[in-house]
Formats: sequence, structure tokens, C-alpha cells
Amino acid sequence: MKSRYGLWAGLALVAGCGLSGGGPAQDTAKPADNAIAVWFPGTNQTEIDLVTKTIVPRFEKETGAKVKVTFLDWPDLSTKLNAAFAAGTAPDVFGHGPAAVADFVTNDRLEPLTADVARLSAQDREDLANALPGGQVGGTQYLMPLSMQGNLIAYRAGDFTKAGLDPAKPPATWEAVKEAAKKLTKRAGGKITHAGLLLPSHPIGRQQTFAGLLGSAGGEQISADGKNVAFDSPAGIKALDYFVSVYQGPDAVANQLGVNYQDMPIAQQPLVTGDASMTVLAPQMVQQVVKASPDLDVRVMPVPTFEGTAQGVAVGGAGPGLMINKDSRQKDLAWKFISYMISPATSLEYTQGIGAIPARVSASDSLYVKSSPVIQAFVAQAAHFRPNPNVPGWTQIRDIMAKHLEQALNKKVDSAQALREAAAEVKKILNG
Amino acid sequence: MATLTEARPRDARAHRAPARGGRSRRWVGVLFVLPAALYLIIFQLVPVLYGLALSFTRYSPLSRSGPQPVGTDNYARLLADPEFGQALMVTGKYVLIVLPITVAIALGLALLAKQSFRGVGLFRSALYVPHIVSLTAVSMVWLWMYSQHGLFNEILALLGRPGQSWLLEEGSALNAASAMRIWKALGANMVLLLAGLQSIPSVLYEAARVDGAGRRAAFRHVTLPGLRPMLTYVIAMDIVFLAQGFAEIFVLTRGGPLGSTTTVNYLIYTEAFQYNRFGSASAMAFVLFAVIIAFAFLAVRGVGRRS
Repeated sequence: MKSRYGLWAGLALVAGCGLSGGGPAQDTAKPADNAIAVWFPGTNQTEIDLVTKTIVPRFEKETGAKVKVTFLDWPDLSTKLNAAFAAGTAPDVFGHGPAAVADFVTNDRLEPLTADVARLSAQDREDLANALPGGQVGGTQYLMPLSMQGNLIAYRAGDFTKAGLDPAKPPATWEAVKEAAKKLTKRAGGKITHAGLLLPSHPIGRQQTFAGLLGSAGGEQISADGKNVAFDSPAGIKALDYFVSVYQGPDAVANQLGVNYQDMPIAQQPLVTGDASMTVLAPQMVQQVVKASPDLDVRVMPVPTFEGTAQGVAVGGAGPGLMINKDSRQKDLAWKFISYMISPATSLEYTQGIGAIPARVSASDSLYVKSSPVIQAFVAQAAHFRPNPNVPGWTQIRDIMAKHLEQALNKKVDSAQALREAAAEVKKILNG
Repeated sequence: MATLTEARPRDARAHRAPARGGRSRRWVGVLFVLPAALYLIIFQLVPVLYGLALSFTRYSPLSRSGPQPVGTDNYARLLADPEFGQALMVTGKYVLIVLPITVAIALGLALLAKQSFRGVGLFRSALYVPHIVSLTAVSMVWLWMYSQHGLFNEILALLGRPGQSWLLEEGSALNAASAMRIWKALGANMVLLLAGLQSIPSVLYEAARVDGAGRRAAFRHVTLPGLRPMLTYVIAMDIVFLAQGFAEIFVLTRGGPLGSTTTVNYLIYTEAFQYNRFGSASAMAFVLFAVIIAFAFLAVRGVGRRS
């Protein structure tokens, strides 16, 4: 009898602990009135110092408010946010990449910001026009981007010269990029020892590479309404065939399939070690490479097109930004903080501090942009950056695409089959 | 009679007094055990039971509705999920690669470490060091050693051999991760087996020598039977730990290439923390739990039966 009581007590305990969580009430263990908690993504020390020692103290002084800032490592960000939302202790304001927004919206966790954006001046809205769409889901603004992002091909001018190529006239089409890469590639015993061109091929990178090639071939990943798969198209096959040809076959120009070189430290970057002549990099990394190894004469080329298509496309657009927790008790102060972060002066100070592409168009006239050929090149290409679709389940869709792209890149299946199989799986996610 | 009458209450008191003392002593015992018991219940048992309850629900921590009961749907879906099947196979393969090699080498090292020679203490300590270093930190070091310009490729270059993509090829990635895990597990296994060896009475070896047994016969008929309890423990614990392989996979390969190193624990991580599907992740965890129990039981029965 006693053991039966014990069993029921145990089950009640489990049920009490487990099955009641995640309810709507948010017991926000938050700072008191006129104070907010803000979680920033990333652990870049320069950014941490800039935000915590300069920007936030200035905001606090100007407004009399208190801002408790926490920086979280990118890989832990989603896990910690999820746990905080489940426990009702999520911060008032938090940052994330645009790819995460749709899932937060689906779960009713974000405060819509369209009305707040509408209250900005017309000049402000125009200035932020390139960045704002990346933070929208279904036409509603939820994320306010702090910077723009995008990757371009960076190349060693010296290698071009040695191979008889003109570094002042980089190739303008993907076909020409491949031809140049062939001249730059070195082999020993049939194995590539120096890559002419390294396209990102780690899981996230390979989806982004494919998306860029697909856009340059005139295709789309998902239909405009976000309900149908669009990458299993002739443009998709053309893009994936090109991607595969970079790594496989007699004309391959790349080795190290699957390596995430983009996140390697500067000293290990293939451009620095001399393992590659062309790699695809973000502006922050290109600037660091240029600064660390000025003798390499690393330059950036415009986004290539495919022959016969209108314009080249690279994955990018709105970068990480800030959102407001729907359960925040300090929404006005939260918006005040976000609008301070995206104000012209602070926005420029922030992007300059972290070496990113400014979110505001007007920043192209700033000393920061004018004094950096790398940032100038990225700003000049901003119109070619296209964000990944903001649809619920995007993380899983991205991973499914990456899984099937890997099959094609390893010649397990052909491009058409890989895309067909990926499309079948992605459809299930899009259809809920 | 009087004696009897007087004796009864005394006897009764004598009988009751220890009972009261025994009860209070028992309560004192309970009080001593209580902190540890509460710790086990709150931090071990309740989360496990909570996980079991979650495995019968659909639950995203982002959702406001909380866990939604779905019966056995999560388990039924797992049976038809080829990715989960492949992850089980990879996990099994990983255990089968690492376990026999680790136990064999650890036994050899334990036999060596049992000898008394100058520097034996240093020898034992050096072998144990990998065990006390964090698995994640060790994996980071091995990640560099396996990289394009890492230690292994530099050694190959010195020998005039081309470098290898250790962690990037389907055929070599799991073996490369296994090699690291073998190195990491050797120290702990060696210490346990050494303890087992030292517990075998030396008179048994003397008796065997008197009976004319050589080194090989003594190993077969004295060492192995004497070591069997410890060997059983080592094998069972290795199965439990190896089947839960995650940190080394997360750092070295992220489950790739082509899913060739995606263990069940790695799949559980992606399911729970990337896709927010805690229900199906919990179901995976309990299937893995059942598989581990089954294999550990088979190992205990298989090795233990002969004793």
C-alpha cells in the first residue's frame, strides 16, 4: 500500500514538474522599473568592450535607465534562450540572427515592431531600407538588424599575377572564376595541394554557397509566399553541378571538402597559410587578414554572375539584430534601447567597432567606410546580398539541404536526385 | 510468582527500550542518508522520470502550450526513422571499435605497470593523465592534430607521404575519432585492471609455478579468472560511456561526413537543441538507454558467467 502511495506521489511530482511548463505566464526575474536585461549574441571581446564600456553606459547616462547586458556564445544562444523562455526568465531584449526569427514568431515570443518602425522618421526608414526586410516575417517587423552581413570572394593578388591573371580585373562570372581557379590550382601526385578556389562546404556554409550560386543562376530557395520548395529547379541543378565541379572531377580546383575554414583563426586561414588563392569570407575576417598580412595584397571581388543571368547573388543582407520579448514588462524602454542602438551615430560606432558592414546606407559616406577598401567593396555589393528565407523551421530546412548537398558533393548521387530528395523532406517541414 | 511478576515488566521494558533506541537510531540513520537521497531524487531520479514523461509528448521549450501528450507516437516514428537507425549503427560500431582495443591495450599496460621497475609511479601517472583532462579539451587538441597542417600530416610529410583528410572522409572519420577515444580511455581502464591484478593472491601464482605452469598458462588459468570481476566492470562501464559518445563527435566531426560519425547522443542533441523537439529527443534517449542496458547486461552475463 505504502509503495503504491509512493508511486502516485512520484508520478504527481513528475507531472507537476514536467507537464505544466511553458505556460504563458512569464515570471520575469527582471530588473526593477526603468531597467532592462539585454542578451547579445557572440563573445567578441572588442564588441563586448564597446557595448558594455561605451555604448550602454552612455545610454544609461542619457536616459537614467539601467541596462543589464549579457553576452552569450553563439552556439549556446538558442539553447539558453529556449531554457529562459520555458522558465519565464527570458530577457527584455535579445539578439539573434535573422534565421531564428520565424520560429520565435510562430511560438508567439516576439513583440511586433512595425508600429515602432513607422514612428521613425522617413529619413531613418529610408536609411535602413536595405536592412529592415531581413528582420520581417510575413511583412511584420520583429528584428532590428544592427549590421549587414554577406560573404565575398577574397583573393591573393600575388597569386593572380604569378598565374598570368590580372588582379585588377577579377573574373566577373562563375565560369570565369572556375577558369582562373584552374590556373591557380597546384597538384602533386594527382592530389590538390593548393586550391585555386575554396567554396564553403561545411554544413551551414554549403547551404549558403548553394543559395548564392542558385540566386546567381536565377533561382530561388523557397517560393515568395514561403509555402513551396523552389530550389529543385533547372537553376538549382546548374548551381549544384557547378558546386560539385569545384570539388570533384578532373577539373576540380578545391580540396578539404567539409572543412569550416571560415571560422578558423587568422593564422590558419587558407589565404594566409598559402593553401588557397581564392576563398569566400565575411568582411570582418577579410579585414583581419589584410591587417595581419598586408604583404599578401588580399583583395575582394564583386559577386560573380552565371553567363546569361542578370546579376550575381550572395547570401547576406540583414545581419544579427535585436528583438523584444513579448512578455517584457519594459517594452517602451526596450524599444528606446533598440532605437538608440540603431541611431546613426551609435550604429556607425558599433559596426566600425566590430568591423561589420553598416546597416545604414548613409554610413557609406563615413570615414570608416571610405578609409577601408574592404568595407567599401562589401558596401558596394550590398544590393547583391539576399537573406535566407524567414520561414518557420528554417534551421531544420537548412540542415536538410546541407545533408543532401553533401551527398551530391561526395558524388553519392547526382545533383538532380540530391535536390529532389531534399525538396521532398523540406516540403514536409513547410507543410507543418 | 512474585519473581515472575516482577520479571515480566522488567523483561518488557528491556524489550521495549532497545526497540525505542533502535527506532531513534534508525531515524538518525535516515537523517544521515537524507541529503544524499534527496540529491539523488531531485537531481537524478526526477529528471530521468521527467524525460520519460516528455518522451510521450510533443514539446518545444519555446511553445507556450507546454508538453502535449502524443502517446507512443515518438517511439513509433523512431522505428521508421532511417537516420536514427543509422545513428544506432554508428554508435554500435564506435563501441565495437573502441572497446576491445582499449581493454586489450589497457590490460597489457596494467600487466606492465604491475611490475616493479624504476619510474613505475611516473609511468602509471603519465598513463592516467589523459583521463583527468576534459574530453572537450582533449578533442580540441586532437582536432588540431588531425587538421591539414596538424601533427599527423606533418609526420607523414617528414616520411615523404601525402597528407590525409582524417576527419573529412567517410571511411576514416569514425576510426580517427575512435583512436582519440582509445587514447583517452586507456588510463582509467589501466588503473582499474591494475587494481584487479593486485587483488589476485600471489600464492596462486606460486602454486601454479609449483604445478609447472609457464607464464602463458599462469595468465590463462590464474590471471584471467582472477581478473574477471574487474574485467566485467570495466567492459560494462566502457559500454555505458562509449555508447553515450558526444563531446568528441561534437568537436571533431559534428556528425559528418555523410553522417558517418552521427552517434545517437549527437542526434539527440540536434533534435533537442537545434530543432526544439524535446519529446522525440527524449524518446531517442530512452531507446538508447534500453540498448545500453541490454548490451551491458549481455557483457556482464557473457564475461561473468565463466566465473
